[in-house]
Amino acid sequence: MNADLALPDYREQSPEVTARFERLRQRPVALEVSGLTKKFETPRGVITALDDVSFSVHKRELLSVIGPSGCGKSTLVRILAGLETPTSGELRVYGESVSGPGSDRGMVFQGYTLFPWRTVKENVMFGPRMAGTSAFTADSEAREWIELVGLSKFENAYPHQLSGGMKQRVAIARALANQPRVLFMDEPFGALDAQTRCQMQSYLLEIWKNVDITIVFITHDLDEAVFLSDRILVLDANPGRVREMVEVPVPRPRTSDQLFAPSFLGVRKHIDNLIHPPGQEHKEAPVLRMAVADPDVV
Amino acid sequence: MTRPGILKNWFVIRRDLPHARRLALTFVSFLLPLAVWCFVSYVPWIWHPDVKIELSAEREGVTTVFTAGDHVSRKFFPEFADAVRNDNAVVLAARSAGTAGPGAKRKNQKLLRQLAPLAVSHGWLPYTEAQNDAVLYTLWRDIATGVKTTRKPALTAENLDIVRQNWTLLAAAAPEFSYKTLPDESLLKLIPQGKPANPIYLPAPDEVIKTGLRDFTAKVPAGELTMGQRYKRSLGIIFMGFLWACLVGIPIGILCGVFDFFSKLFEPFVDFFRYMPAPTFSTLLVAVLLAGDAPKIALVFIGTVFQLILVVSKTTRLLDPSLLEAAQTLGATPRQMVTHVVIPGILPNLYNDLRILLGWAWTWLVIAELIGVKSGLTEFIETQGRFRNFDRVFPVIILIGVTGFAMDQILSWLHGIFFPWTGKTDPLSRAIIRIMKWPVTALAAISTRKSEIQP
Repeated sequence: MNADLALPDYREQSPEVTARFERLRQRPVALEVSGLTKKFETPRGVITALDDVSFSVHKRELLSVIGPSGCGKSTLVRILAGLETPTSGELRVYGESVSGPGSDRGMVFQGYTLFPWRTVKENVMFGPRMAGTSAFTADSEAREWIELVGLSKFENAYPHQLSGGMKQRVAIARALANQPRVLFMDEPFGALDAQTRCQMQSYLLEIWKNVDITIVFITHDLDEAVFLSDRILVLDANPGRVREMVEVPVPRPRTSDQLFAPSFLGVRKHIDNLIHPPGQEHKEAPVLRMAVADPDVV
Repeated sequence: MTRPGILKNWFVIRRDLPHARRLALTFVSFLLPLAVWCFVSYVPWIWHPDVKIELSAEREGVTTVFTAGDHVSRKFFPEFADAVRNDNAVVLAARSAGTAGPGAKRKNQKLLRQLAPLAVSHGWLPYTEAQNDAVLYTLWRDIATGVKTTRKPALTAENLDIVRQNWTLLAAAAPEFSYKTLPDESLLKLIPQGKPANPIYLPAPDEVIKTGLRDFTAKVPAGELTMGQRYKRSLGIIFMGFLWACLVGIPIGILCGVFDFFSKLFEPFVDFFRYMPAPTFSTLLVAVLLAGDAPKIALVFIGTVFQLILVVSKTTRLLDPSLLEAAQTLGATPRQMVTHVVIPGILPNLYNDLRILLGWAWTWLVIAELIGVKSGLTEFIETQGRFRNFDRVFPVIILIGVTGFAMDQILSWLHGIFFPWTGKTDPLSRAIIRIMKWPVTALAAISTRKSEIQP
């Protein structure tokens, strides 16, 4: 009756997965966050958005950050990308302390943020051109990145002519064309419909496989986090603190068939319990005066 | 009974009408005021509070003289005509009593000229001969003897009768004009004639068109400006003033929008200054910049530049900040963010702002042309307005309106060509863009083909 009983514990890992995590830990640390705290001063007093957040991401790892709404996921990623300054704490990329935005850390936003006056190719060329790459080189590089995200046909289209999924692929290509060492993705597929989102997740894994890149992926979608990540950083809300770092025991390569595998469901259930503690989800709706009793509608 | 399709769906809340209907309504929106104007001008019993005098007469003992072309109120006109009839009755009474005194020779000469304006307007007489008594004399003869008749009855039966009566006296004196042989006793006056007319300040459309065409094509005496030259000068003042405002205002506006430093440094004062009406500086400008076009251009500049700074800075601030963040994460420097993100990003909105502000600049034109030495189209409006020649004023006012409107429409259409990426480009503009881009795309196609051939 109770499906939970049949699910394996999230800590159970197959030997291959354990070996893989072992190898992952051997890799250099791409991003190290230590003691990150962010306080906002508001008229009602000081609000602590992030409180002493520390974690590290290894080279070519795909780490997801998940948490209830208001846990400071977006603040965290904005600080990591250098768009906001932390109140205290330190951020190291391959051992070098960084502050402020830089081309070593790429970012993909939920709202696409493509430059509407530039064609797809010109958007992808933006980073290299700003860095001083010649137009010719940037052009041929951009074509490769566009091919990688499968939009060669649209390289001369303007963003307003593209669908949401295509725009986000361009945004990914644009971030990658800059060859950052870490790529931050702030709920990149949040604005897409469910079907496109699934496609984009597979696309992302495909790209990640082919490109030497470390990804920190912010999401509020459990399935997305489990499907994509090696590890998942679960945050608490108010103030945002690290609740747990969960290793995903689902073996790679990932396919959509695994969405119903016991190991997938087990870790999903565990994170769900962390974010929505049991006992809180079932609140009885008040009985309305106009309620109509119908035995088939319960 | 179902309504036919053409009557359906004109009034749907917050829903755009189909293209054809919108076009039709645009057309009607211009037609409607024009129709009202024609209606009150040409349908006789609607309005016409005045009578335009076609044939005038002097009254005995009244100093006020009306000449042909004057407007009098509809109520007064019969009194005027009756006064003249009374004068005639007195003359007739004196004639029958045999007491008609001599000494009316001079008056009679004037009386003969009564016919002139009507004769000119009905094509009996060329304009240049209106003061020629000899020709007028033969005209009296021709009308009295029935040699000259018009298509439409130019003279009322009453006046025709008077012409004949007078001619009997004149013919008895001499067949040709000579001041000496003019009868000494009073002739009868022609009774005033007129037609219903609009008040002087609203001439009928045909009068406006006629005088407009005449004014715009007229040869002017040396030293005066033709209408085309006036128009050019007015346009010159607008454009120079606006250009200066853009050159100064756009960089400051963008700086204010991008850097809070400049915003706080400039905007409070600009905000204050724009409340001081530009015309109040006119005397100062003339004193500093002397006569000529300089103070006029300066006035358009002052009237426009402060608005421009505020509007441009607001437009700059409206740029999606996430684009700047994206550029930052892509490694753009602050300078690159301004030149490669802010400026291209705000261009379409900036263009629209400038379009609206050009409209503002037009409103300053009239005041600018009045300060110092009057010039351009406004001088013409001023002068003719003073003489109450409103039929000559209207064409110029309409010209200014048409110019501003046409310019705005053209600029609005060009927006689609300049900024195809905003996605508001109509098919025609798209085709034009494609034609303009053809050499570039052709070259690109050749170069890719070449690179494909090479291994």
